[in-house]
Amino acid sequence: MAERQSPLEPEFHVGSHGNFEHGVEILLTETRPGSIVQLAAWPGEEKTLMAAIRAVTGLALPDGAGGGSSDGVKSVFGFAPGKFTVTDEAEGLASAFAKVVAPAMGTVTDLSHGRTAIRIAGPKAEWVLSKFFAIDFALPAFPVGAGRSTTHHDVFAQIQRTGTDQFDIYVFRSFARSFWKALCHASEEVGYEVQ
Amino acid sequence: MSPRRTDTGGHVDRLKTIRFTFDGVAYTGHGGDTLASALLANGVTLFGRSFKYHRPRGLLSAGVEEPNALVTVLKGEVREPNIPATMVEIHDGLIAVSQNRFPSLTWDIHAVNQLGGKLLSAGFYYKTFMGPVVGPLKGTRFWMFCEHFIRRAAGLGSAGSAKDPARYERMNAFCDVLVVGSGPAGLMAAKTAADQGARVILADLEPRFGGSANWSGETIDDASAADWVRRTVAQLEARDNVRLLPRTTVWGYYDNNTLAALERVSDHKAQPAKGEPRHRYWAIRAGSVVLATGAFERPLVFPGNDRPGVMLAHAAERYANEFGVLPGQRVVVFTNNDSAYRSALALKQAGAAIVAIVDVRPQPSAEMSALAGEAEAELLSGHAVVATEGGKALSGLKVQRFDMVAGALSGDARSVHADCLLMSGGWSPTIHLASQAGAKAEWNEALQAFLPPKRTQKWVGAGAFNGHFMTLEAILDGRNAGLTAVGATVAPMAYPHIESLPCDPRPAPVFEIKAKGKSFVDFQHDVTAEDVRLAHREGFVSVEHLKRYTTLGMATDQGKSSNVPGLAIMAEALGKPIPEVGTTRFRPPFAPVSIGSLAAERFGDLKPERLTPMHDWHVDNGATMYSAGLWYRPMIYGLSGETVEQAYVREAKATRENAGIVDVSTLGKIAVQGPDAAAFLDRVYTNMFSTLAVGKARYGLMLREDGFAFDDGTTWRLGDQDFLMTTTTANAGKVMQHLEYFLDVIWPELKAHVTSVTDEWAGAAIGGPKARQILAACVTGTDVDNATLPFMGIVHGEISGVPVMICRLSFSGEMAFEVYSGAGHGTHVWEALVEAGRPFGLVTYGLEALGTMRIEKGHVTGAEIDGRTTARDLHLDWMLSKKKPFIGSAMMDREGLVASERLELVGLIALDNRPLNGGAHIVEEVDEANPHGSIGHITACCYSPALGKHIALALVKGGKARHGTRAHVSDPLRNRFGPVEIVSNHFYDPEGTRMHG
Amino acid sequence: MLITCPYCGPRDVIEFTYQGDGNRERPDPASQNFEAWNAYVYDRLNPAGDHNEIWQHSGGCRVHLRVVRNTLTHEISNVAFVRGDHSSAARRKAEDKP
Repeated sequence: MAERQSPLEPEFHVGSHGNFEHGVEILLTETRPGSIVQLAAWPGEEKTLMAAIRAVTGLALPDGAGGGSSDGVKSVFGFAPGKFTVTDEAEGLASAFAKVVAPAMGTVTDLSHGRTAIRIAGPKAEWVLSKFFAIDFALPAFPVGAGRSTTHHDVFAQIQRTGTDQFDIYVFRSFARSFWKALCHASEEVGYEVQ
Repeated sequence: MSPRRTDTGGHVDRLKTIRFTFDGVAYTGHGGDTLASALLANGVTLFGRSFKYHRPRGLLSAGVEEPNALVTVLKGEVREPNIPATMVEIHDGLIAVSQNRFPSLTWDIHAVNQLGGKLLSAGFYYKTFMGPVVGPLKGTRFWMFCEHFIRRAAGLGSAGSAKDPARYERMNAFCDVLVVGSGPAGLMAAKTAADQGARVILADLEPRFGGSANWSGETIDDASAADWVRRTVAQLEARDNVRLLPRTTVWGYYDNNTLAALERVSDHKAQPAKGEPRHRYWAIRAGSVVLATGAFERPLVFPGNDRPGVMLAHAAERYANEFGVLPGQRVVVFTNNDSAYRSALALKQAGAAIVAIVDVRPQPSAEMSALAGEAEAELLSGHAVVATEGGKALSGLKVQRFDMVAGALSGDARSVHADCLLMSGGWSPTIHLASQAGAKAEWNEALQAFLPPKRTQKWVGAGAFNGHFMTLEAILDGRNAGLTAVGATVAPMAYPHIESLPCDPRPAPVFEIKAKGKSFVDFQHDVTAEDVRLAHREGFVSVEHLKRYTTLGMATDQGKSSNVPGLAIMAEALGKPIPEVGTTRFRPPFAPVSIGSLAAERFGDLKPERLTPMHDWHVDNGATMYSAGLWYRPMIYGLSGETVEQAYVREAKATRENAGIVDVSTLGKIAVQGPDAAAFLDRVYTNMFSTLAVGKARYGLMLREDGFAFDDGTTWRLGDQDFLMTTTTANAGKVMQHLEYFLDVIWPELKAHVTSVTDEWAGAAIGGPKARQILAACVTGTDVDNATLPFMGIVHGEISGVPVMICRLSFSGEMAFEVYSGAGHGTHVWEALVEAGRPFGLVTYGLEALGTMRIEKGHVTGAEIDGRTTARDLHLDWMLSKKKPFIGSAMMDREGLVASERLELVGLIALDNRPLNGGAHIVEEVDEANPHGSIGHITACCYSPALGKHIALALVKGGKARHGTRAHVSDPLRNRFGPVEIVSNHFYDPEGTRMHG
Repeated sequence: MLITCPYCGPRDVIEFTYQGDGNRERPDPASQNFEAWNAYVYDRLNPAGDHNEIWQHSGGCRVHLRVVRNTLTHEISNVAFVRGDHSSAARRKAEDKP
């Protein structure tokens, strides 16, 4: 099949940029997961759905709002009551879930094309993200694995912390280039590298 | 060395020379200088001309409250006016100019206004420009001519028109404790809270932390106060739970402990570092706030108190001790309180002669007399300054015996030769932020000052903010505030050892010396004591009215030094005590905020925009892009030399003759999934969806609860419990919220989920007599013939190896199909379709041709579904199911919504063969000069290539009943008047034979 | 103004959309009682003081919240999911920092 086109392409410039002479403090990349799937449980079915997620991905979800986990290949996090975003480097996650999520449990929505995954990493990741989002990125308030839903102006974003200094941001594909440009712009003062 | 720079002392770096210009003259200063201190060191006394009278003005203060010394800073083409010279840190290449003078600062033509002082008194603008014009000049152009010059003569600096290339940013921050102000109180609070493990932000508007400790000359625990500051700041810097924000003005205190601050990141640099913003706007959400914002010294009000060389006492102390600059050689101090004695001594120690200390109090304390002796100053107790002399610099002053109880002067005036007069009228705690947070300030009789109001949000005060002016009190307050802010128990502490001069904080209640001459209350707006009394005589009794009428406190300094003296004078005029007169509530911002920082990244190139998957293809292939909301869509694909009209006419024609393809990815798409999805759609749409077969689509209409039309679109049934709803581009977000509201709030029992999948799918609509042939040439895995893909049918197949979903539906009125693919494959599929269409004469078309073909077909869009039209108005009543209730069904039959005289959708044809305009009115009477009697208006118009006529859709009273009649289009703004024929909105192929094939 | 979303925690008001008076009662869909429909669509209490409101966390989890807000002080005394049936997986844990 034809390769999926990245919405970032004309603005995706591999290399070091901005004020990088003293070293880069931000790494930016597009993770391009093969699958991005949204799962939503009917009220009361949340635990059953979480078990289904574990069965398909092997990832255990902690209880509580915004809980999540990642094994580097697959990631999952809650972004709303009973709703989860699951991603996988491989394609085909939506059909795998369609087999195990019965109509009585909830729904599966394939968003593999519709969301763009941007990873920001480095010692200044919290600093740069704080320019966009009015949420607390400090580690105690936003632990590794957890997910958050928030907005930067009109750009709706789901953010998962996948490392102490690393965040994966899922934005609507149509906004992705605009957001990417803004992210690069905001990273200039600390020096950034696109990988 | 500059004439007024001391050899030692202060915190400037004398080894570092910085070159800058002021009004075109080159000067040098040192590292750590402000523009004010550097110019003062160079002997400059004249900094600006006053607002109304163009009086020469010098420095009043050394800080953010400066009302006089406002300058314009030039950076390239960009001019930033009205910056206090006291807040500008000099850097190499700094260019600053003075303001409100013509042609030059030293020779100002408008200084003649000083002679006409009576004319420009309080309420001048109201009386002159807003009142009725009477007298001989009434109705003449002469008065308007004068107004131009008067307005030009009065004012501040002027803004430039060059685009500001600087970068501005916004930053969100969270902390347990925000400490505002870094004097001894703030520093101690920050350290205490940080020691408790709290996340602390410490912000100070000055570049150097430490506040008064930097110039007080006191010692704290056997170190100089300035060293104590350095040590404490170093401790804070070493902690990772503390963020230090120098040059950061906290200017707004909003609900739920949200505060706004402006960080001047790179104004002090010749060039910002790469990517570094000029200003950063901080939105800080703080668990609690420590307000350690200090206090402002007040001027005294007496004739000539605005002459260059007259300065606040502590400001002079600060220039001497922090910057190593002497504001004068022969200094007189004029005070109503003890604190000025310390300033006198500081200047004496820095090398100035203190000629006299003029104290309004009949008998200053023995301690003060001793300090006066130490300063070798003649102590003139029970005296007041009644006049000042000199032009652009002070040359002398007059002193007279003064009875502060009666406010009366007596005896002969005595002349004193001096080049600098320091005044102190007591201190006003800087309670602005607490006042913004809510509640009213409280007057303290002993301190003659407004103290912080009762707490309405989570803040704690410390130090001079609380009216605690001594350093020891500040440090104790700071520690307690730090503990309180983190919720820790306040335990007693060992007192630090502080060496400071004695000072009783209670001033004498003297604000004004009444004598002949202009006595200024508000220096920046040129409001005099007499203006305040005039306002009272003219009937103003409320302090809020006084403020507006005299403009006292309304300048860029927001009356930081003038509010309390102004109130005191008003209170005296009213014969009421100050607390009964009350004070105005402070509002944000505390100090001026750059507009750039508020706009931040939402400006210009960084404004968010939405692009379809095929965006780059469109741009590469000659499309002129058009912004539709946040989206960018092709308007036309113009050939060279083509006008917009020629392009869309060609595109529409080719589509109707052969085939055309248009990007419809922007249509809102919502996945509606779950066992109750069909039932939910039945309630949401006016027509039935539960009866729709899997693999079929249906056109649907939604109403609002009030019965008006809301949105339309097709919804595709992809599975038994799986629908794909499409909405208009503009309403996608609104429809989504509408659906979510009903599922969450009204019908929580329904098992249906809605998800925005707009961005999941790329959409290409391909239509025209040859559209099916083109699809047949490139689609694999399914047939596209009439049997397999009937009207409103859906099939799944592949194009060029990529899965696609094809629905046969038509907006153009032609045999048409919408081809959906994963967005990441959008361009791939689009290119394959364009390639397959080449032999068939396929054209790409944009919004203009799309709009033209929809007008020809009479389809409605947002222009017609405008929130005021009903389904009946739009002839969509055939879609209103009678078998079920739906959103809006209960309200849609209300009397007013079914009235016969409502505006209904019709078509119009221009009978004079000229273009029609959107928004133009339709009238019955032919009265071009006096158009009246509108019967409706045009919602959309175009030249129709299919009809060869200028046509329009319109909403017209009576609608259908007028088909076949004539009326006139009237559009006086665009000089358009002409006959039209009213026809059906279905101009083209009303039977739909082309669409059905 | 901050609203503490039971799922997302305290967020700036900019992330929320006001969705109207929370005291409205929608009549039975088939009801032809115009008085009741009129009250539902148009009548608002507009109290000075505590007001029962519906807010959607549109810039976050998109859930609708029942918010009791004082119209004079903006003080928010209570926030709850409109559909009160979300399980523990949907709630912030007590120890979660705001």
